Amino acid sequence: MKFWGVRLASILGAVAFCFLLEGVAQGQSSFVQRLFVLAGLYVTLAVSLNLINGITGQFSIGHAAFYQVGAYTAGFCASRFFAQLNLPPAAWLLLMMITSAITAGLAGLLVGLPSLRLKGDYLAIVTLGFGEIIRIFAQNQEALGGAYGLTVAPKIQYVWAAWLLAILCIAVCRNLLRTAHGLPFLAVREDEIASSAMGVNVTQTKVVAFVLGSMFAGAAGAILAHFESFVSPPMFTMDVSFTIVTMVVLGGTGSITGSVLAAILLFYLPEKMRDFTNIPLSGVAAAFVAISAAVFAIRWVMQNFHGTAKDRAIRYLGIVVGALVIWFISKALLGNVPSLKENIDGSKLRMVVFSVTLVVLMLLRPQGMLGHHEFSWDWVRSKFGKPTVKEATA
Amino acid sequence: MTVLPDLLAGLEFSTLPQQLVNGILLGAIYALIALGYTMVYGVLKLINFAHGEVFMLGAYTALFTSWSFGFTQAGNKQDSSPGILILMLIVSMTVCGIVGVLIERFAYRPMRSQPRIASLITAIGISLLLQYGGQLFLPSSPPPSISDKVNPFKGNIEIPLKPADSALLAQAEQLKAKVTRTKAAYDEQLKSEKDSFNLSPVGKELRTASQDAERDYRNAIDKANKDALVITFPQGQVIMLVTTVVLMIILTWLVMKTTAGRAMRAASLDFDAASLMGINVNTVIAFTFFIGSALAGAGAMMNASFLGGTKIDTFFGMLPGVKAFVAAVLGGIGNIPGAVLGGILMGLAETMVIWAGYGNYKDAIAFIVLIVVLLVKPGGLLGSNKVEKV
Amino acid sequence: MNIQFSWKHGLIALAVAAAIGCNGGDSTATTPTVENKGTEATPAAAGRKAPTAEGNKVEGDVIKVGIVGSLTGDQKPWGEDSVEGAKMAVEELNAAGGINGKKVELNTGDSTSKAEGAKTAAEKLISDGVIGIIGEVASGHTIQIAKSAFDKGVPVVAIGATKTDLTQEGTHVSRVCYIDDFQGPVMAKFAYEELGLRKVALMTDNKQPYSQYLSKTFGDKFKALGGTIVKEAFYESGQTQFSGQITELKAETPDGLFLSGYFTEVGPIAQQVRQAGLKDVKLMGGDGWDSPQLLTSGGDAILGSFFCNHYNNKEDRPAVKTFLDAYKKGHAGKEPGTTMAALGYDATKLMLEALKKAKSLDSKSLIEAINETENFAGVSGTITLKGFNGNPPKRALVVEVRPQSEGFQVFRKAYEADEIK
Repeated sequence: MKFWGVRLASILGAVAFCFLLEGVAQGQSSFVQRLFVLAGLYVTLAVSLNLINGITGQFSIGHAAFYQVGAYTAGFCASRFFAQLNLPPAAWLLLMMITSAITAGLAGLLVGLPSLRLKGDYLAIVTLGFGEIIRIFAQNQEALGGAYGLTVAPKIQYVWAAWLLAILCIAVCRNLLRTAHGLPFLAVREDEIASSAMGVNVTQTKVVAFVLGSMFAGAAGAILAHFESFVSPPMFTMDVSFTIVTMVVLGGTGSITGSVLAAILLFYLPEKMRDFTNIPLSGVAAAFVAISAAVFAIRWVMQNFHGTAKDRAIRYLGIVVGALVIWFISKALLGNVPSLKENIDGSKLRMVVFSVTLVVLMLLRPQGMLGHHEFSWDWVRSKFGKPTVKEATA
Repeated sequence: MTVLPDLLAGLEFSTLPQQLVNGILLGAIYALIALGYTMVYGVLKLINFAHGEVFMLGAYTALFTSWSFGFTQAGNKQDSSPGILILMLIVSMTVCGIVGVLIERFAYRPMRSQPRIASLITAIGISLLLQYGGQLFLPSSPPPSISDKVNPFKGNIEIPLKPADSALLAQAEQLKAKVTRTKAAYDEQLKSEKDSFNLSPVGKELRTASQDAERDYRNAIDKANKDALVITFPQGQVIMLVTTVVLMIILTWLVMKTTAGRAMRAASLDFDAASLMGINVNTVIAFTFFIGSALAGAGAMMNASFLGGTKIDTFFGMLPGVKAFVAAVLGGIGNIPGAVLGGILMGLAETMVIWAGYGNYKDAIAFIVLIVVLLVKPGGLLGSNKVEKV
Repeated sequence: MNIQFSWKHGLIALAVAAAIGCNGGDSTATTPTVENKGTEATPAAAGRKAPTAEGNKVEGDVIKVGIVGSLTGDQKPWGEDSVEGAKMAVEELNAAGGINGKKVELNTGDSTSKAEGAKTAAEKLISDGVIGIIGEVASGHTIQIAKSAFDKGVPVVAIGATKTDLTQEGTHVSRVCYIDDFQGPVMAKFAYEELGLRKVALMTDNKQPYSQYLSKTFGDKFKALGGTIVKEAFYESGQTQFSGQITELKAETPDGLFLSGYFTEVGPIAQQVRQAGLKDVKLMGGDGWDSPQLLTSGGDAILGSFFCNHYNNKEDRPAVKTFLDAYKKGHAGKEPGTTMAALGYDATKLMLEALKKAKSLDSKSLIEAINETENFAGVSGTITLKGFNGNPPKRALVVEVRPQSEGFQVFRKAYEADEIK
C-alpha cells in the first residue's frame, strides 16, 4: 500500500509542479515563457541522450537529428490533418507527441541497427553523419518547406507540456535503471564482451537504448514545432547536437540528475549573457589566458600534489586568486591591441562558453559534475541524519 | 527516386569529361586534408576533429599574408608573382604545423591516458572553440576573401578533345565582317548620343543591328562548336594539382626513406612497442601533427587563392574537414596512399552528384559514402578488413 | 525479457501503421510561400487579414520603436546600414521635438542573418513594448517577423524585403521598396532590349525565397519578351565552389547569366564563371548584389555587370543630397555602403510620420495610419501606401558595376513603376 501511495503522490506532485510552472510562466512575458519551455525541452534532450551515451555507453553525437524528425513530423501532420480532425489543442499536442515519438523512434532504429558493429569514434561520426543526412534531406523536400522552413499551423504554447515530458523522461530512465530491465544497459556500458558472455543480448540492448532516446527527442521536437510554429533546417544543425552532448558531459555521463542540472545551467547561462552587451574583447582574450593558466595549474596540483585535502584546497584557492590576477593584468595589456578594442554582445559568447566548458571539463574532471552519482531520497535522508532505507532494512 | 531511363535521359554526357576534371581538382584539396587525418589516426587512433579548423586557420593565414603584401580589400598592389605565392604557401604551412603541434601538446596529450571517448570530446571542444572563439577575433562578418590579384595565373589551359567543325567555323567567320561593320556604325552614332541607355530612334536601330549581327555570329560559332569537346583547366587549379602531387611525393619519401618516417610507421603499428624500442613517441606524435597540419595549411592556402573569390569565415573548414575525414576512411584510415585515393574519389563523387542534377544533396553524399563504407568494408579500400572485436 | 520484447513488437507495429497513415496524403504540399499569379507590377491582391491582437501602447514619456537587422553574419553590411539610417531618422525627429513632446527610443534586435534569429529578435522587441517594428532586408527573415508581429498586432515596415507575397501576411505589413514582381521584369526588359540578350541562364540560391522568386519573375518576363531561359542551376548560400553548376550552364552556351542571389555568393560565382572560360557572358542580378563586398569578392570578373537597385548615391535629387550630407556628418565623411541606409531611414521616418498622424499612440492606430500614407517624400523616392496593399509603386534603377575609383555603382537606366506591364 505504501508503495502505491508513494507512487501516486509522486505523480500528482509532478503534475502539480508542471502546472505550477505554467502558472508562473503565464505571468511573465512571452520571451520568458519561451525560456521555460526550451529549458524543459533541453532537459528531455539531455536525459534522453544520457540514456544512450552515459547509461549504455554508446557515443551518439547526432541527437539533434531525432529532435528534427520529431519536429518535422509534427509540422507536416499539422499542416495536413489539423484542420480536418479539429481536436482541442491539448489533445492534438499529445497526439503529435506520440506520433513524433514513433517516427523518431523509427529513425533511431534506422541509425542504431547498422551502427552496432562500430565502436567509439566511428559510431560518433556515423551518428553525426546520419544527423546531417536527415537534415539535408529534410532541407530539400518541398513538402517540408525546403531550405526555408515549414510553418506549423496551430500555435500551441503550453509550458506544462514540455516539463511533463521532461519529468516523464526522467522517470522512465530512472525506473529503468532501478529495475532488472536496466541492468543490461549498465552491463553493456561496462564491458560488452563480458555481458554478452553472461547472456545479455547486446544488440537488443543497444537498439532499445537508441530507440528510447530518440523517441523522447522526437516528442520534444513536436512540442518545439508547435511552440515556435516554425521549423527550419538551421534550427537543427550540428551545433544543437554538440550543445546537448556538452550538457550530458557536464552533468556526468550516467547521472540523470547531472544531466538535468547541466541542461538547465547551460541553457540559462547564455540567455543571461544576452543581457550583457558591450563586453570588451580584450576581456574575453584575457579570460582565455587566465583560464588556460588556471587549468594547467590545477592539473599540476591534481597530479603532483600529495598533501592533505585541506592543503590541496588552499592550493586551489590560490590558483583561483592567481587566475583573477592574471586576468586583470592581461586585460590591461591586451587592451592596447587595436583589434581587441571592440565590444561584443553577450549572445555571441554562447558557443564559446560551451566549447571552453567541454575542454576544461575534459582536462580537469572528465566524469562531469556528478559522475555516476544520482540524487535520491536516501541522500537527503543521510544529510538529515535520518537512517537511510538501506540502513533501516539492514 | 526517378526511373533509371529518366535519370539517364536527363544527363548531359557532353559535360562529363569537364566534370570529371572538376572532380579531380576538388579531390586534390580533400586529399591534402585527408592526409592529416589519416596520419594522426594511424599513430594515435584519434579522430582529430579540430583538423578542419587548422585548415580554416591556414586560409586566414594566407589571407593575412596577402594583406601584408598589399593585396588588401582596397586592392592596391597590382602585380603578384610566383614568389609571393610560394611565400604564402610556406607561411601557411608553417603556421598550421605549429598550431597542430600546440593543439596536440595541450589538448590531446593530457587525454592519452583516458578512454578514447574523452579525447574525441576534447577534439570536438577544441573544434568548436576555434570556430566560435575565432569568430570573435578574426574578421568573419562579412567574410573576407583573398584578392584575385594575388593569383598571377589567370589564363586557362584548353585541351580540345574533339575539334570544332571547320566548315561551320569558316561559315561563322564570314559573318564576322558584318559584326565589325555594324559595330563601327553604332560606335560612330554613340559619339553623338548623350546616354547610351536612352538612345534616339536612329541609335536604337543601329544598336539592334549591331546586336543582331553579333548574335548571329555567336550562334554560328556555337553551332560549329556544338559537337566539339574542350576541357578547360584554369591555370591556377592546375598549379594546385601539381603542388599537391609534389607534396605527396615529398611526404611518401619522408615516411618511407627517412628515420623519422620509420619512427612514425613504428609508432602507428604498435605504440607501446615503439616506445620500448627507444623511440621518443612524444616527438614522433608532434612531428606527425606538424606534417599533417602543414599539409592542411597548404591545401587551405591554395583553395583560398586559386579558387576565385572563396569566402573565408571561421566555419570554412568544417564541411571540407568532414568530407576529408570520410575520404580518409574511404581509402583506409591510417593508409597514406589510401587518403589520396579517397580524396580524389570524394571529389569525383561530389561532382558526379552535381552532374547528375542532384546538386542539392552534394553534402549528403559524403555521409552516405561514409556509412556505406563503414558497413561494407570498414577497413576502407586500401586498408585491412579486421573488425576489432576486443 | 518478455515484457520488453512484446512491447517492442507493439511499438514497431504502431510505427508501421503511423508511417502508412502519415504518407497516405497527396504529395503536393501547401508550402508556406504563395505562388505568384501573374507578372504585372500591380499591387498584390487584396484579401489581407487584419491582426486581431491588441498590440502595444505607449506608456509614459518614451515612445519605443524597434528595428531588426542582421548585425552579425553574412548580411552585416545591410543590417548595419539600415540601423544607421534608422538612428538618423529617430535623432532628427527627437531634435525637432519628438511626437507630442515624447521622445522616440530605438531598440535594436539582431537577426544574425537567419530567419529564426529574426523571429526571436522581433518577439523580444515586441515583449519589450515597441509600438512598431522596422525591418528587415532579406525577405526570408521579414516573413518571420511579419508572422510574429501578426500574432501580437504590431505593425511592420519592411526596409528592403522585395518578395511580393510578404504583404499577404496581413494588413500590418508594408514596405518602402519595390517588389520582385517589378524587379524581375525590369531586369528582363533591360536584358532583352538594352543588352540584346536572347539566351539567358539562371543561377538560383535554393536557400533563399527571395532568389527563387526573383528568378521566376525574371524568367517569365524574359520568355514573354521572346527570349529563352536555357537552364536554371541551383546553389546554396554558404557554398564556395560552383564549378559543377557552371560547367552545366556552360554547355548551354548562354549569352547572359542572371544571378538572383545575395552578394556573398555572387562575387565568387562571377570569378569562377570567368575562370571557366565564359568571358563574354553578361552577368545580371537584383538588389541582392548591393554591397561593397561585391567588388572585393568579385574582383575583375564582376566589372561590367548590371543589377537593379533602389536608388543611387549620385542622383541629383535634393532629397538624396540632403540625406548624404547628413549621413556623412555623422559618419566621418563616409557615404553609406549600401542603399539600405537610405531605405532604413525612409522606413523609420515613414513610421514616425504615420505615428504623428495616428489617432492614438498605440499599435492598432499606427497600422491604420501607415496604410493611409500618401506621397511620403523619401530619400529613395516618393512613397504612397494608400490603396496599394502595402506595396508602394517605386522606380527601379539599373546600375553597372564599375571599380571603386569610378564610383562602384554607375547609374545606367531608370524604370518607372508604370513602365512594366
